[in-house]
Amino acid sequence: MSYFNTEVLVDCDWVEKHRNDPSVRIVESNEDVLLYDTGHIAGAVHIDWRRDLQDQLVRDYVSPENFADLCSRNGITPETTVVFYGDKSNWWSTYALWAFRLYGHTKVKLLNGGRAKWIAENRPVTREVPKYAKTTYPVPAKRHDDEIRAFYEDTLAHCKAHKPMVDVRSPSEFSGETTHMPEYPQEGVLRGGHIPGAKSIPWKTATNDDATFKSAEELKKIYEGQLGFKKEDDIIAYCRIGERSSHTWFVLTYLLGFKNVRNYDGSWTEWGNRVRSPIERS
Amino acid sequence: MVDLMSYPAKLDAIIHLFESLPEQEKRENLISYCDNAKKVEPKEGETFDIEDIRKDEECTDEVAVFLKMSPEGGVHFRMRLGPQVQTLTKAMTAILCKGLEGCTPQEVLDLPSDFVPRIVGAELVRLRSQTTYYILTRMKQICKVWLDRKRAAALV
Repeated sequence: MSYFNTEVLVDCDWVEKHRNDPSVRIVESNEDVLLYDTGHIAGAVHIDWRRDLQDQLVRDYVSPENFADLCSRNGITPETTVVFYGDKSNWWSTYALWAFRLYGHTKVKLLNGGRAKWIAENRPVTREVPKYAKTTYPVPAKRHDDEIRAFYEDTLAHCKAHKPMVDVRSPSEFSGETTHMPEYPQEGVLRGGHIPGAKSIPWKTATNDDATFKSAEELKKIYEGQLGFKKEDDIIAYCRIGERSSHTWFVLTYLLGFKNVRNYDGSWTEWGNRVRSPIERS
Repeated sequence: MVDLMSYPAKLDAIIHLFESLPEQEKRENLISYCDNAKKVEPKEGETFDIEDIRKDEECTDEVAVFLKMSPEGGVHFRMRLGPQVQTLTKAMTAILCKGLEGCTPQEVLDLPSDFVPRIVGAELVRLRSQTTYYILTRMKQICKVWLDRKRAAALV
């Protein structure tokens, strides 16, 4: 059994072979804000999830105009295949990939295993920041929020309709025992627990120790077997701020072929703080 | 007590240097300090007055702090960080080891942490880079232990 989308995941050899291909742009996105500066794959550009993808005032993503400008600055056209990789088992690179999809950029790939895999294979990195000629990236006509993004009201309606929902945080965050990830600071959440009806499958369940994805058979067992999700289901995934759930969104959408998966990026930092939000603890 | 408007001289010089740098050079200097984090690890055969090696929930990997007191009563820190520790935290470790060299333990305890954004810059201070503050907390903790032990010994 192979992944639903057999083209989306690439390995280090593929990246090595294509990193100078003008129709390909390698993009590094990390949680560690200075990691790219310490060394990156030659030719890779840096897209910072907060500075480049998020609006700096309102909790939202940048405007289509700003997205077009970001792509243009990094030598990306609508025809460019953008290959993402990053730290933390590709949390932020799947988040960036998901954000690119919000603007309708569908030519995307992901380096399986991310930065850790590249380093583990002793592949070279450089501190030289590449310069690409500015491109013309047409301003996307709209952002596809309604297709792959869920807002609070969508999620509340989903919850009330008892539709499938997956909470990808750690078990202690799901149960309400803690309000932050192990090894992370408290990020300002007033209540612990989970959205009523959500099932718990931590994002990490989908990965191997080397940050690569588990096989299609193993993923199918987890999400279709254990969770009972069906391909045609309307599914929402969430975590704390939407990055870990981007990882699960990627798994469900690209690797298993679920048709209607949305990422609730407001996630627990919105739900757990919202007045009168229903919460379940277990 | 350290004056709120001033810092130990070596740290003060580092703060002023960073404040004078444009964003890109600031990043380059932080990377340079990050590279130096290895150099502040304990050397073979070095001995210390106190060692504090642990991994707390607040940090992604182990942070080991080693304190040696000079005959003049000044601190000398060595630090060892696990590989998962973020770049900014590694940089801050090297900065603090250099900037606090020779301070008294009480000066370290009294040091306010408001210099961190002055070095790092607002762009890089994020919720998930708060462990930069954690390093200073750990240095203060080991200084407090040293002072407590000294006071206890004086009572005997």
